[in-house]
Amino acid sequence: MWCYWRGQKERRQTQLTSIDERLFAERMSRGRVLRLGALGAVGYIASACGGSSSSSSGSGSATGKSDHPVTLNWLTWSDHYANDQLAAVKGKTNEQGRPQLFSDNADAYLKIKQTGSQFDIVSGDALWVPKYHKDGLTESFDLSSLPVSSQLYSIARDFSFWKDGSNYMGYPFSWSTVQIYYNPKFVKTVPDSWHALLDKKYAGKISLENIPTDMMAIAGRATGAKEPYSMTTAEIADAKAWLKQFKPNVLKLASQNNEVVRALADGSAWIGITNLGTDDRVKDAGGPVVKPAYPKEGTIGFIDSEQMVNASKNKDAFARFVNAMEQAPYIAQNFITNGRPLFNEKSYKMLVDQGHGDRAQRLLYNQPQKALEMTLKGPSGNEQAYTDAFNEVFGA
Amino acid sequence: MASPSSEATQPADVALPLGRPERRSWTARVGDYVGFAPAIVLFGLFFLVPLGLIVCYSFWQTVDYNVVHNWTVDNYRYFFSVPTYVRTVWATIWVSVVATLLTLAVAFPFAYWLARYVPRRYQKILLVLVILPFWTSYLLRVYSWLNILGPEGAMNRFLQWTGVTDQPVSFFLYDRPAVILVLVYLYFPFAALTLYASLERFDWNQFRAAMDLGATPATAVRRILLPQIRPGLTTAVIFVFIPILGEYLTPQLVGGARGVMIGNLIVNFFQGAQYTRGAAAALLIAALIVLLLTLFRRSLEVEDPYGT
Repeated sequence: MWCYWRGQKERRQTQLTSIDERLFAERMSRGRVLRLGALGAVGYIASACGGSSSSSSGSGSATGKSDHPVTLNWLTWSDHYANDQLAAVKGKTNEQGRPQLFSDNADAYLKIKQTGSQFDIVSGDALWVPKYHKDGLTESFDLSSLPVSSQLYSIARDFSFWKDGSNYMGYPFSWSTVQIYYNPKFVKTVPDSWHALLDKKYAGKISLENIPTDMMAIAGRATGAKEPYSMTTAEIADAKAWLKQFKPNVLKLASQNNEVVRALADGSAWIGITNLGTDDRVKDAGGPVVKPAYPKEGTIGFIDSEQMVNASKNKDAFARFVNAMEQAPYIAQNFITNGRPLFNEKSYKMLVDQGHGDRAQRLLYNQPQKALEMTLKGPSGNEQAYTDAFNEVFGA
Repeated sequence: MASPSSEATQPADVALPLGRPERRSWTARVGDYVGFAPAIVLFGLFFLVPLGLIVCYSFWQTVDYNVVHNWTVDNYRYFFSVPTYVRTVWATIWVSVVATLLTLAVAFPFAYWLARYVPRRYQKILLVLVILPFWTSYLLRVYSWLNILGPEGAMNRFLQWTGVTDQPVSFFLYDRPAVILVLVYLYFPFAALTLYASLERFDWNQFRAAMDLGATPATAVRRILLPQIRPGLTTAVIFVFIPILGEYLTPQLVGGARGVMIGNLIVNFFQGAQYTRGAAAALLIAALIVLLLTLFRRSLEVEDPYGT
């Protein structure tokens, strides 16, 4: 039995080495990545009989193929998957991920709370993850029981705020700071402070996403709030006053990040408050060179994860699905498409081997520790006051 | 079902059954209404129940992302106590009124020309062209205006080509005029089709008769045409004005920070999980719409033009 298991393991390693070698040799394309990702998944499936991968927490076997077709309803963001990736994973695991998109963590949290078992997986940001868990909406699992977790940076397996004894509350996916991107053609002085954005010369020239809680947190950062996501009433008032000064400079509160990119690309915005990688996306959209600036007051950022919904009827399918979805070739393609760092170290190495190293390093893919230097997104201590203040500023 | 004429011709000596009318079983009586069941289920489950829930939510509270069933009018009080919301409602009404008037101003001449001067065989082709934009998604239609009005859009290219400007101008987008322009474009088909349906049925001989009797064209339009197509005009106003009141996507995409409408603030409430605040604001807008519909209802009644 041991020999058989070792044989399987060696076979799996051979297959993975083969993937790496092929990635060395060929330039990465979406179709190729999917094929390789599928191969990787097959490799893990092949090791199923030898692996002691079943979770102690009900997340099920992380490998193999489901006996019957399973549909996993997944409340997530659009950059967490690709449709062809879902199709390939379904082919290999018999598990079909069915994403439903949400815009803000608060929205997703309340949906999970109110819909019970309608969803199986929910994506969540940094400090939202313990909130879900504390309120009994998600279930932690043994991260090491997912073979794919060995591909993660070690720091991503050790976030103290996601630990639940020996279990982990979510599978680490991606991260990004939210910073200032500016067009040097129009912005001559580097805006290295949030207060620089109040300058009247930028009237109607700044674009950002319409996420009230995050904008309030940024205003909190600008005005020196100790905990931007848990501001006191006085701090909220200061943040609101800052937003009032900021409002005339706002061109647009975008519903999606691509609108910020578009505004920077067509020159209607000179400054964007947005995620890492916007410079590349603006360039890809045929726009000008835009540069990042990191405000000296600090900034906010996200660490995304995939969580297992407690009320899900398909908990057994969670580990297998995540294990297949998070394979390095898929993650590398995700980076190329979405341009912000992820936590899969193996994928970083693939990107370097493929000639994407400069871009990956510029976007801090090799510095996951930076994720802990920003103010992590989380639930607000007084969400109603945050939304009220934001609406009162940005109403007519 | 007997028509009045058939009743009138019924022989008077036909014996009618005497005594107590036949008592029908409850199943037969229920059976009469079975046909309504799908509509009742649809209306009840997918309109009345959700509406009832929204009403309840509007009187509850949200505490730490939990909807707490404490009955209160705080959400309504908050809405009226903050000038921003009242201002935004007025701005929304203003945008809706201007966009509706402009839509009618564009749609009426078109429908008039189509109904009166275009040969019938070409009318259908033109009507198909009017509804052609519906073949693409609403979102794409709004997005297309970003390409038209943006710094690198068709409008700026034209201005630069004609030498009116030497570099792109940015004032076409991200303000109220852009919102109104796009709304007029989006709702033009609704107004045009409704007005065409009214004008197409109008008896143009009356119009000619009025002019034969000395009325100017403007007087004939005002005193003969408009009173008779008033239901069509009112329906067009309902089809255009009321949906615009609830718009949030168009102001979000082309309105920028200066083009915000009340729908955008309601979306922010829901996005921030403030369902109770959002429910109250949404119900207030719904109440405004019901009030307007009640007012419009009178305009849908037409006086007999011949006074018979």
